[in-house]
Amino acid sequence: MPTDWTVVAAGIAWPLTLVLAWALGEVARRWLRIPRISTYAITGFVLSLPGVGLLRGAPDDQVLLLAHVALGLVLFEAGYRINLRWFRANPWIALTAALEAILTFAAVEWVATAGGLAPLEARLTATLAMATSPATIVRVVNELRSSGQVTERILHLSALNCALAVLAFKVTVGLAPGGPDATVMDATRDVIWVLLGSILLGVLMGALVPAVLAAVRRTGQDSTLAYALAVILLVALDRALGLSPVVATLALGVVSRNRRVFLSPSERGFGALGAMLAVLLFVFIAVVVEWHQLRAGFALGSALVAARLLAKVAASSALAVLSGTSWRKGALTGVAMAPMSAVVILVLEETHARGLALLDTLAPLAAASLLVELAGPILVGRALRAAHEVERPEVAD
Amino acid sequence: MPLGPFTASEPLTMGVELELQLVSLSDFDLAAASPDLLDLLARAPFPGSVTPEITESMLEIATGVHRDHAAMLAQLTAIRDTLVRAGDRLNIGIGGGGTHPFQLWADRRIFRKPRFREVSALYGYLSKQFTVFGQHVHIGCADGDEALFLLHALHRYVPHFIALSASSPFVQGRDTLFQSARLNSISAFPLSGRAPLLLSWERFTEYFARMERTGVVKSMKDFYWDLRPKPEYGTIELRLCDTPLTVERAAALAGYLQAVCAMLRDRPDAVPTDDDYLVYGYNRFQACRFGLDGTVIIGPAADAVPIREDVLTTLRQVAPYAAALGAEGAMDLVYRITHEGSDATTLRRAYEARGVMEGVVDGALARFRAGEPVA
Repeated sequence: MPTDWTVVAAGIAWPLTLVLAWALGEVARRWLRIPRISTYAITGFVLSLPGVGLLRGAPDDQVLLLAHVALGLVLFEAGYRINLRWFRANPWIALTAALEAILTFAAVEWVATAGGLAPLEARLTATLAMATSPATIVRVVNELRSSGQVTERILHLSALNCALAVLAFKVTVGLAPGGPDATVMDATRDVIWVLLGSILLGVLMGALVPAVLAAVRRTGQDSTLAYALAVILLVALDRALGLSPVVATLALGVVSRNRRVFLSPSERGFGALGAMLAVLLFVFIAVVVEWHQLRAGFALGSALVAARLLAKVAASSALAVLSGTSWRKGALTGVAMAPMSAVVILVLEETHARGLALLDTLAPLAAASLLVELAGPILVGRALRAAHEVERPEVAD
Repeated sequence: MPLGPFTASEPLTMGVELELQLVSLSDFDLAAASPDLLDLLARAPFPGSVTPEITESMLEIATGVHRDHAAMLAQLTAIRDTLVRAGDRLNIGIGGGGTHPFQLWADRRIFRKPRFREVSALYGYLSKQFTVFGQHVHIGCADGDEALFLLHALHRYVPHFIALSASSPFVQGRDTLFQSARLNSISAFPLSGRAPLLLSWERFTEYFARMERTGVVKSMKDFYWDLRPKPEYGTIELRLCDTPLTVERAAALAGYLQAVCAMLRDRPDAVPTDDDYLVYGYNRFQACRFGLDGTVIIGPAADAVPIREDVLTTLRQVAPYAAALGAEGAMDLVYRITHEGSDATTLRRAYEARGVMEGVVDGALARFRAGEPVA
C-alpha cells in the first residue's frame, strides 16, 4: 500500500499525460474539428502549470531523447517527400525559400530589437524564427490527406528553411561572447563541420540500411521498421557527436527517397509508433515552456508571431506567380508555414542542456513558439482547406 | 432532348483524346493535381485542348482533327512536351497506362464541377472506381448511316485495339492476370457494352428517343458503349483502348484504326449479323485477359484465330490503304507491338525488375517523357 501519493503521481505523470492528451485530441478533432496536435500541446501546457503540478520540473533526459527521436521520425518522413530535382526544374522554389528566410530574419530581428531584446538575443530569436517545423506540417498533411501545390510547397520549403535556421543559429551561438568561436572563420568552420558531418552521417545511414536489408534478404518486404530503428540510431549518434539530428534525419529521408527506396504507404508516418511519439513530442514542447516565460514573453512573442507570419506570406506570395502557382496559393503557402515550435524548442532545449539558459533569455521566442504550437496546426489545416487541397469528407470521420 | 442531326464531316479524318495520370513524385500515388496544373497551363496557348476529368488526379487532352498520322503524332508530341514541362514546374508526374498500379479508389477526390458531383452522387464508389485511363479515337464519317455501318463493321477488330493498347495489368496493388483490367471497371456501368445493331441513322434516332422516354438516358454521354456515334462531331468514337505509355503508341493506334476504316469503306459486305455478335463478349474477354496471346472466334465458320496472327493478317490487308493515307509509320509501330508485346508486358517487366509497384509507376513516367524507345 503506497503511502506517499506524490511519488506515485510523479511515476505515472508522463504516461498519464500522454493518455489524456491522446483522448482529448480525438474528442477535439471530432467535435471542434481542430487538428489533434493542437490539443496535445494544450494538454501538455495545462498539466505543467504550477497550480496543476502533474508534470513538475524539467523533463528528464529520457523524455528529451524520445522527443528527439519523435522529431527525427517526422523529419525523416519530411525528407522522404523531398524531390531534389524539383529545385533544379523550378529554381523559383529554392529562391522562395531563400527570400522567405531572409525576410523572416529581418522582420523578426527588427521587431525583437524594437521590443527591447539585446542585439544578440534578437539575432538568435530571428535565426530560429526562420524555421518552419516540418513536424506539424507532416502530421497535419497526413491527417487531412491533402495534396496540391500548397502541400508540396510547404513540405519542400519547410525542409529547406529548417536546415537554414539550424545552421544560422549555430553560427550565431558560436560567435556569441563566451561562445566557442573567436572569429567568423571559426564559426564558419564549425558550421561546415556540423552541416557536412550531419549530412554525411545521414547519407551513410541511407546507404547502410538498404545494404543490411539486402544482407538479411528483406528487400522485397516492407522496410519501415528498419528505417525507424535507423532513425533512432542516427539521432543518438548525432547528439553524441554534437552534430545536428535535424539535418541528419532530413538527409536520411532525402537520400532514401532519391535512391528510390519505397516505404509502404500504409505505414506512412511510421504507423502507431509514429503516432505515439507525436503525442509525446507535442506534449513535450508545451511542457518545456514555463508559465513565467509565457507571461514574460507574451506581448513581444505575439508581435514576433505576427511579424514572422507577415514576412512569410509576403515572400511566398511575391514569388508565387513566377514559380507557377496563383498568388492566392502563394499566400496560403505563407500562412501554412506558421508552425515552428518543434524545431525551435528542441534546439533551445539542447543548448539548455549545455548550460545556456536560452529559454529564459529568449522568453519571447518561447512564448511565440507556444502560441504557434497551438495555432499552427489550425492555420495549416485552414490554409489547406482554403486551397481546396483537402477532400471534404462525405461522411464525418 | 432529342438526338440532333448527324453533322457531316470529312471521311477518315481523325482525332484523339487521352486520359492521363497525375502522380505525386513523393510517393508515386495518384495526386489530386489537376486544378493546379490547369491553372498553370491556362497561362499560355496549349497545342490542343486540355480539360479536367471526374477525379482530380486525371487530366484529359485532345488533339485537333487530322488527316494523316504524321500530323497527329506531331501534335501529340507537342502536347506531351508542354504537359511534361508544366509538371516539372509543379512537381507533378504525368504518365500513361490504363490503370494506376496501386491507387486506392477511396482516396480519390472528385473535381469541383456540378456534373461530376452529380455523377459521383449517382454512381457512388463506381465513379471513384472509374479512375481508369483510356484513349478515345474519333473517325470522321460522311453521314449517320456510314457512321453506323463503320461502327458495326469494326466489331470484328475490337479485340485488336484492346490487345494492342493493353496497359492495365495491375489494379489496387495486385497483378490481375489481365492485360487490360481497365475494361472490367467500365463493364460495371449499366449502359456499357455494344450499341444495338441498327444501321440507319433514322432508326437509331428512334431508338434514342425510346430510351430517352424511359428516362434512363439524357444524352449520348450516358451510353458507355465500346464504340458510339458522336453526331455533333460527325464521328464514331472508339473508346476501348487503354491510354498507352507513350504518345507514339497513341498515334499509331489512331493510324491503324484509320486504315482499317478505309478498308471497310471498300467492303460494304462487312456488315455484321446478329450471329456475329454472339461471340463479341467472348472475344473481348480473350483480348482483355490474354492480349495478343488471346484467341478470337471469327466468322460463320467459327474459326479460332490467335489475335496476334489476326493483327498481322490485317496489317497486310490494310497496307495499300495505309500507304494512301500516309500511315506507314503507324503500321510499323503496330507491327513492332505484335513482336515486342504491349505496354502491359513492359509494366510487368518493370515490376519484376524493381520489386515494388512504385517502381512500375516511376518507369511509366520516364517512358511517357522519353517516348517510344528507338527500335
